[in-house]
Amino acid sequence: MNDVALHLSETLDHILASIPQFKPEFALIIVFLFSIIATLFTDRFWKQSSFFVSIIGYIISFFSLLPQLHQPTSGFFGMLVIDDFSVFARGIIVFALLVSTIFIQQHFKSKISQKNLGDVYTVLLTAGLGLNLLTITTNWLLVFIAIETLSISSYILVGYFSENKKQSEAAMKYVLFGAVCSAVMLYGLSLLYGFTGNLDFTSSAHIQGLTAAPQVMTTIALLFVFTGIGFKLSFVPFHAWAPDVYEGAPTPVTAFLSTVPKVGAIVLLARVTQAWTTSLFYFGELTILFITVVAIITMLAGNLIALRQHNMKRMMAYSSIGHTGFLLMAVLVAPSGDPAILLFYLCAYVLMNLAAFAFIDALEQKTGATELESYAGLGKKMPIIFTGFTFIGISLIGLPPTVGFVGKLLVFSSVFERHQSSGDLPYLALLITGALTSVISLFYYFKIPLYAFLRGGQSEQNNHASVTLIVVIGIILTSLVFGIGIFPDLLLGLFK
Amino acid sequence: MITLTHFLVVSVCIFCIGLYAVLAKRNAIMILVGIELMINSAVLNLVAFGRYDKVNYGGQVFALFAIVLAAASVAVGLAIILSVYRKYKTIDPNNITDLRD
Repeated sequence: MNDVALHLSETLDHILASIPQFKPEFALIIVFLFSIIATLFTDRFWKQSSFFVSIIGYIISFFSLLPQLHQPTSGFFGMLVIDDFSVFARGIIVFALLVSTIFIQQHFKSKISQKNLGDVYTVLLTAGLGLNLLTITTNWLLVFIAIETLSISSYILVGYFSENKKQSEAAMKYVLFGAVCSAVMLYGLSLLYGFTGNLDFTSSAHIQGLTAAPQVMTTIALLFVFTGIGFKLSFVPFHAWAPDVYEGAPTPVTAFLSTVPKVGAIVLLARVTQAWTTSLFYFGELTILFITVVAIITMLAGNLIALRQHNMKRMMAYSSIGHTGFLLMAVLVAPSGDPAILLFYLCAYVLMNLAAFAFIDALEQKTGATELESYAGLGKKMPIIFTGFTFIGISLIGLPPTVGFVGKLLVFSSVFERHQSSGDLPYLALLITGALTSVISLFYYFKIPLYAFLRGGQSEQNNHASVTLIVVIGIILTSLVFGIGIFPDLLLGLFK
Repeated sequence: MITLTHFLVVSVCIFCIGLYAVLAKRNAIMILVGIELMINSAVLNLVAFGRYDKVNYGGQVFALFAIVLAAASVAVGLAIILSVYRKYKTIDPNNITDLRD
């Protein structure tokens, strides 16, 4: 007891000194409380108050992030690790959350719903908190808390409206699949804790304990842990939920689900691989092998199944599974140098997907459908939307002069460098699969202009294109995709 | 004398029972029960291992957080299953298949 009393003041001092490093997340927590208050009280007088509270919250969080740039520190007894990688990742996350919030506000503006929209913004803020935590930690306890915070918020976002049968089915599939994956991950974490007695996955005690443990048990525990990460990333074989949930959820929620959670999970996976592959133990190689195999299967499965989809949201789900494969490839080569390439690809992915969902949402509001067939002949009526959509398709394939091309080029060239320096065959297999699947993806992305411009519409409805805010955001994101595609140094120089 | 091994064997058994309940897929509530069993087997593991970690009590702390988070996700799960029941009048996952390839 005396021991505790002696260290208590030191401990308290340390905790107090660490609080300033927690500012961006602290801002989100405060705004979360304000958002609840706004939903309960002020929404009656002014319907948009909770929306503006959360927008202000993201902006505050972003600006309290800026002082952390180029000042790597750690706080709360090593629970938080703040470096440039996490600062940039959180910047991308906050930006994507801001855009998703505007999507939600625009999507439900015209609809009369019994549900209170303010709660959705509140839940989105907690999802942001979980994501931010995921990027700044190397401790398994905090990783688990962050993943659960994010997962529970996502379940609520998908199931909150339950307007029709499909939405509640998607929510149920999501919550059951997700809870099973996180339970399996928890069991794996408990095994890791038992082998090492330490929860920090970068610490030497952790790595030594894993090496000393029986090889079979370590492998099982690692596979269990990767189950939880794999669910968040939706790589094969944990992708089964993604198409159903993406199709069933409201379109702005799908825009959130397909972009932001992946940023957090990829950062975590990159940290794990960096910590384990630099230590020359067998499970470092095991991790590399696992990620290589999963990346190849994910790229192939995602792009091949996307070919025969007719629902636009379902197609985007498989396309994002395919992109997860590319992201895994980028994770694999990230340890060689700085994470600039990985961050660039993440940024490109987020921009492209948000723009694509902006157009899908705008079209859904005009035609009421998300099937590819319903786009037939609309190209002449809504030239702005479909021109933008086609360019985003080009970027998603990875053709110049777009940001998708630069991202893929950077990832390919660093994988090729790795292959030349080590001569390992898995890297060559990754390269071949990546090139092949990019060609495959051309066939389904080009269905969009094919239906819109070349197929005739069956009826002459008079739905003329009015320019809404969501289209404007889509156009801005598209021009960003182009601008960064032509001048990639603007973004790369920032990450360096 | 009850050793660590006994705890681990019990927790593996509970985990497998939970996994079976999930994979049998008869009823959404049964899946949630299976998930709860799996989480509790992990909690048992954590507490058993935590006995050897007298410095930080990492295992016990982890177990507490795991219990709280499991309760939260099960609460959300039950609410969602309720809304599914209102739409479909059944909670058998095999009958709820509007979304598929």
